[in-house]
Amino acid sequence: MTITPDNDWCELVRASIDSGAAVGYVRAGQDGATVTFDGFVRNESHGRPTVYLEYEAYEAMALAKMREICVQIHRSYAVHRVAMLHRLGHLEVGETSVFIAVSAPHRAAAFDACRFAIDTLKRTVPIWKKEFFEDGAVWADGEMPPAPPASETAS
Amino acid sequence: MPHVSPNLRVKVLFFGRVRELTGIREEALEMPEGTTLSELFEHYQKRFPSLRGFRASLVASRNQEFAAWDTPLSSGDDVAFLPPVSGG
Repeated sequence: MTITPDNDWCELVRASIDSGAAVGYVRAGQDGATVTFDGFVRNESHGRPTVYLEYEAYEAMALAKMREICVQIHRSYAVHRVAMLHRLGHLEVGETSVFIAVSAPHRAAAFDACRFAIDTLKRTVPIWKKEFFEDGAVWADGEMPPAPPASETAS
Repeated sequence: MPHVSPNLRVKVLFFGRVRELTGIREEALEMPEGTTLSELFEHYQKRFPSLRGFRASLVASRNQEFAAWDTPLSSGDDVAFLPPVSGG
């Protein structure tokens, strides 16, 4: 578990995600809204029934990227706290793989920040999903993270 | 005095499809000073021909940051060649 300077909670977990704890963590007296995103394992992929999924991560980098998303959220949206939990390992259909909760004094910022959080996580956080079917397994089609152009980081 | 090219030592990590292709999760490797991410990947393409043609669908990272392929490495760096991400 890692708590950012803004008291956001980012964690990679190997057991069931406690979404109630995440909601309880972000909401406080000065808030008027909490928006949550619950991503869970769908029962099919491209028309094939899913049996289970396995998630793996570059854990140090994934946590760093999750913390970065939280920092960007506080720069861009008037929110109070963010909780961002991602599960790794073996997940059955219906189990939560990612849970995000954002609290704010007003709902618009919470909605916008929560949407930004999941969209950015899916594009930039080094986590990979392997889908297991009755007759085989595939690595899910992913998104290419934005890489810096040549030479920009050469130093 | 003879010139001896010093080596740098990096830790290389593999994930997902690339981990399966190489059979490596993590290893320490010595390369000549001045080696770039691109040259390090070429080293692995020689060891693992199944990686040939893969570079366009990978992003490199150095010390937990996405990095351009021409980034030169330093001793102690953590390097990874990351497939498209599919969390969420």
